[in-house]
Amino acid sequence: MLQLVLFNLTNGLIVGAFYVLMALGLSMIINLSNVVNFAHGNFLAIGGYVAFVLTPFIGFWGALLVSPLLTAIMGYVIEKVVIRHVYTRNHIYSLLLTFGLGFILQDVCRYIWGPSPLPLNIPADMSAAVTPDLFFITWYRVFMVAVVIVAVGGLFAFLRYTRVGMRIRAGTLDLDTVSALGVNVSALRSYNFAVGSFLAGLAGVLAAGQLGLNPNMGDDLIMPSFIAVIVGGVGSLTGTLLGGLLIGVASALTTVFYPSAADAVIYVIMALVLLIRPRGLLGEEGMLQ
Amino acid sequence: MSRNGKGPILRRRRVLQVGAGVGALQFAAPFIIQARGEQPVKIGFIDPITGSLSALAVSEVEGAKWTVDQLNKKGGILGRPVELLVEDSANDTGTGVQKAHKLIERDKVDVIMGDVNSGIAYAIMGVTSEKRVLHIVPGGHTDPITGKDCKWNTFRTCNTTAMDAAAVTGELVKKFGKKWFFITPDYAYGKTLQENFVKNLKKAGGTYQGDMLPIANTDFSATLIKAKAYKPDVLLNNMGGAAQLNCMKQFVQFGMAKEMALGGALYELETLRSVPKEALTGWWVMEWWWNQPNVPAVKQFVDSISPTLGGKKPSARHWFAYVSINAVKLAAEKAKSLEAVKMAHALEDLELPPDIALSPNKIKYRAGDHQLMSDLFVGQVQPAGAGGPDDLFKVESVVPGEQAAGPAEATGCKISWPA
Repeated sequence: MLQLVLFNLTNGLIVGAFYVLMALGLSMIINLSNVVNFAHGNFLAIGGYVAFVLTPFIGFWGALLVSPLLTAIMGYVIEKVVIRHVYTRNHIYSLLLTFGLGFILQDVCRYIWGPSPLPLNIPADMSAAVTPDLFFITWYRVFMVAVVIVAVGGLFAFLRYTRVGMRIRAGTLDLDTVSALGVNVSALRSYNFAVGSFLAGLAGVLAAGQLGLNPNMGDDLIMPSFIAVIVGGVGSLTGTLLGGLLIGVASALTTVFYPSAADAVIYVIMALVLLIRPRGLLGEEGMLQ
Repeated sequence: MSRNGKGPILRRRRVLQVGAGVGALQFAAPFIIQARGEQPVKIGFIDPITGSLSALAVSEVEGAKWTVDQLNKKGGILGRPVELLVEDSANDTGTGVQKAHKLIERDKVDVIMGDVNSGIAYAIMGVTSEKRVLHIVPGGHTDPITGKDCKWNTFRTCNTTAMDAAAVTGELVKKFGKKWFFITPDYAYGKTLQENFVKNLKKAGGTYQGDMLPIANTDFSATLIKAKAYKPDVLLNNMGGAAQLNCMKQFVQFGMAKEMALGGALYELETLRSVPKEALTGWWVMEWWWNQPNVPAVKQFVDSISPTLGGKKPSARHWFAYVSINAVKLAAEKAKSLEAVKMAHALEDLELPPDIALSPNKIKYRAGDHQLMSDLFVGQVQPAGAGGPDDLFKVESVVPGEQAAGPAEATGCKISWPA
């Protein structure tokens, strides 16, 4: 039993790392723009499908680099054309807008690529297990965790050491003051949305390599991202990181003892956090309100 | 009267236009009456065109549209054209029920068909029986539909989970052993399927463990870790659609295919097409298969429908829709009526002609429970063979429906007819 628990603990950290990647993009958009992007999962699906199209021409590795960039450009354009019009309105407008956008993107995928699942081919060697004992850790899963670590490190470096990144961080804390200091807040929001979309696209390619593609894949993966953000705390990227890992581990460990509740347990954690500490584990006070 | 005190509201030209319109209607009236005489037979088709089961639903809808086209070319049903009204249940029970109400109350359909999702099909039964509309379930498998909760107006084309489980259990026990691990979706279909497997396995003296997982589960690593620790002879993958595919992929990636056999009740051609070559393995049941060399009508059907499917072979889902819609025609023509009660009586024990059955044995909707006694194709999934990219399944044995289903009395179905 101890071995089973330890195996699932490790497995939960791997799954959690993937949740982190999805949730960070979502969290960035919420933090700066106060938009809960319900279409985030569909950006993820677009990233996966674009990689599917590109792979025959530039291979998996090329698609892994290019697809997130194309997803980021798409996110940038959508923010400019659609999302920016609801920033000054009540939150319900952005909720409804992104909710509808999600359906549109999903139907676009279904229309272009059909409703049937499609495989994204990854290099054959990556499907093998690292060792016979740790059979559940394939090279692809190791690679996914490595990509998440690099992406998270890169994101934190971007936010800390680049001018745009510092402005995004400052805007997260007080957007009005940042605007008063002469920063082009409109452009800042666009860049930020593009970075969030880039992370969604990257998660989409990685997810497609593991799970294949279907138009609904975003729906299946998006809820853990929301919960990671809420549990970790709105306004805190470190909190999102912690939230993603926590729900990944909780879900994996629950499968050992009560598998039917593997999904439900993450909602229970969210409910408990909201009851006991509404701002989330590391969230800014007042952000959720 | 004047408009703003400046002129007449009804100008002379307007009066002439209205007059001309009324006159034209007099000539048009006979055509309207004639059209009423050719009022179409309406079939309402509810399926989850969006959602995790959409690939299966789209195949059923493709099959239904093609069949309706064919029927209309041959004079329709009772000499009337057939109209297919397709609604998306979005894989949501509430939406499915709402669509059933809409089709019956507003569109006045003669027959309802649906849903791929067992839970939705079961919920729609409540509406169709209340409204007294003939209901054919082409592809929802949970047993109570033609079991303890059967209705006079409901017929089912796809198998029950009991039939699927009974057909494959013997082969798996005989070839691999009696210690099994189940991975099963936690909803109506999965629960009844696992119950039936367990019942058959216990009869054979077997033991088991298993996990019930959410229907759209994406990551199976935690459950597969448990399965590996249990060291079963067979891992039963009862998931459906994309979940079934992901489970198989991870099963193979984790190297478990070398340690245990893989099997399950039901596999769909739609899912098989997406399985990587290395994961095409295991023993399953196909509810209909396009490659039946000993049944000539099958080739004719496949050759006719394939061009409309982009050259792909039809799946069991296409066949479900084909049989279900043709069953309406057969029932209506036998009853000489579209009244639900008369059609339901006509459909009982009605043997399907070979060009509709497309199966090695004779099949019919059994009177005792309204379940189609179709053949079950037990065999192995394989990488694409000589028959082309859809040659992904090798039939090892055909189990007659009556043999897999057992007696109708044992299903718990007691049909009570309206007064």
